[in-house]
Amino acid sequence: MAGKSQTPDSTGGPSGAKPSAKTFSCTNCGASVTIRYPGQAMSVACESCHSVLDVTHRNYQILSKYGAETSGYSPLLALGARGKLFGRPWEVIGYMVREDVASGFSWDEYLLFNPYYGYRWLTHTKGHFNFVTPIKKKPQTSQSYKFNSPECAILDDLNYRLYYRGQASVLFVLGEFYWRVKANSAVAMEDYICPPKMLSSEADEKEINWSVSEYVEPAVIREAFKSDDPSLKRLPLGIAPNQPNKAASAWKTMKWLWMMFLVICTGIEIVHVAGSASKELLDFNYTYVPNTKSADITTPVFTAFKEKANLSLSFKTQVDNSWYYVSGELVNNKTGETYPFERSIEYYHGYDSDGSWSEGSLESQLLFSGIPGGQYYLNLDMESGSFKDSNPRTLLLTVRRDVPTYVNYFLSLFFLSVLPCMYWWSSRSFEVARWSDSDYTPYPSSSDSD
Amino acid sequence: MIKLACPSCGAEVKFQSKASVFAVCSFCKSTLVRQDMNLDVLGKMSDLQDDLTPLQLGTQGQYDGRQFELIGRLKIAYSDGYWNEWYTLFGGEETGWLAEAQGFYAVCFQLETPGLYLPPAKRIKPGLTIDLEPAGTFLVEDARDVFCIYSEGELPINAAQGRESFSVDLAGPKDQMATVEYAENSDRIYIGSYQDFDTFNFRNLRTIDGW
Repeated sequence: MAGKSQTPDSTGGPSGAKPSAKTFSCTNCGASVTIRYPGQAMSVACESCHSVLDVTHRNYQILSKYGAETSGYSPLLALGARGKLFGRPWEVIGYMVREDVASGFSWDEYLLFNPYYGYRWLTHTKGHFNFVTPIKKKPQTSQSYKFNSPECAILDDLNYRLYYRGQASVLFVLGEFYWRVKANSAVAMEDYICPPKMLSSEADEKEINWSVSEYVEPAVIREAFKSDDPSLKRLPLGIAPNQPNKAASAWKTMKWLWMMFLVICTGIEIVHVAGSASKELLDFNYTYVPNTKSADITTPVFTAFKEKANLSLSFKTQVDNSWYYVSGELVNNKTGETYPFERSIEYYHGYDSDGSWSEGSLESQLLFSGIPGGQYYLNLDMESGSFKDSNPRTLLLTVRRDVPTYVNYFLSLFFLSVLPCMYWWSSRSFEVARWSDSDYTPYPSSSDSD
Repeated sequence: MIKLACPSCGAEVKFQSKASVFAVCSFCKSTLVRQDMNLDVLGKMSDLQDDLTPLQLGTQGQYDGRQFELIGRLKIAYSDGYWNEWYTLFGGEETGWLAEAQGFYAVCFQLETPGLYLPPAKRIKPGLTIDLEPAGTFLVEDARDVFCIYSEGELPINAAQGRESFSVDLAGPKDQMATVEYAENSDRIYIGSYQDFDTFNFRNLRTIDGW
């Protein structure tokens, strides 16, 4: 037998066949009940009266009866429907509606079967689907010994965080199951999340069963089962416990880029600042009499070194609840090119009902960028007003070449941070919404007293 | 390989493993016990109904770099279901078991540690830990009375229909699993691990209609 490796998709071959479906009369109502996969099913629900029957029992003993009021549930995926999920074909053989005993919140579970791979579950809540794989491995759970430390379960180096703990009971069943389904017997359930995955445990007095779920988009279910059920086209309601947070994954990749940019920008700025000569070209004092119009003045010529660099002007004078106004131009001594400017120095202060206040300052600065090297002088025209006295005062003018600047740096920081901040915020809002249905939320709301 | 003739119908009965002491004649379904080169008829194996397994005698696969072939089978029943234990020949020499239930597959080998202390079956209950050195400490997950409802091929134990035993499933360190079987004459310990179906690269699987 040196044949090719056989996959469960291959057909043909001389050996064996599945046991054919089995039909018998319902012990409760007499309607015909079919078992699709005898040999695996332990219990089957009568589609007519919804009694659950023990398949292994010679007389198909009734395990439980469901009242008429529970017959209003209808599965989204029909029994017998087949679909390919996660690369393997599955057949829907069972359907259950279960509820959380404490809150009455209910959800749907479809039992999927593949004779080679066994059983899976597809759970459905408000348009959200999860593909559930039973596992034999036992996750490690950590109890919260420390105050405020979250309860976790660890499987394959992934840390899952406790989301739900409660009791679940069966409301309604259809189809066949590999165990004896019992109504009204609650099992203890726990869900731990690590989106898009979830670890769940179900425990009764005999055993604990673990499973791993993976979030599945409704479109994938629609495609897999070729279903055109309108409810599969609707948008899911709310956010599922293990629904992937797309903004978070965008934020995660963006975070590193963003931090890289911050580092690069800061590095460039540091180099820029360190490389600035910041040399004083002119220190000019001018004495004026306040409250009068002074004559136009021209400063001595000064030399701007470097081929191209910025040039800063700083004006300082003793204003006190008064103003001083300078208008003028920077003139290239050789080419006659001018750079006009105007500046006022104002400083006001006083007391009112809120206490003392002040605005303005004794200094005003001005920056020309990209000034070519050469010889320059300044033409200045000054005015002053509202001074209390007319004692002469001094205007200090300082001209500097190649000073360090920060504006571009901070602007770049701001613009680079807008998008990452938006993603961070939307990612966080998603998490807050995700945990809003959980008793174990790490985002306690301020309105909650407990 | 030992080839003997079925004392009941004369058909050839093969024993690929020297450890096999029991066989079911593939032709007349007689259950046979081997003592050296001698075969005795025990009874007849009745047909199996509602059997839904993808494996069969002669199915081959790979495990841990070795080829294996399924040469015998026990179908075990308990109050809540069934599982299959496939007697497996690895690399044509070593024997072990491939346990199969509800899509789970575990390969295990008998632990030969004479003198290993096992608590009496009556004391076994879920939550109890048992030292199975050198494999480690194992936790009892469940324990139940089981019986053999069908067997085929060759087997190292007398596996007539109705053979009763007490079976204990345990979980161990590093994803190991263990089964302890308390039977009438001897207790056996098997240690192994669960494997994904696809890792076996099975050949000669049973064909299941519609799949």
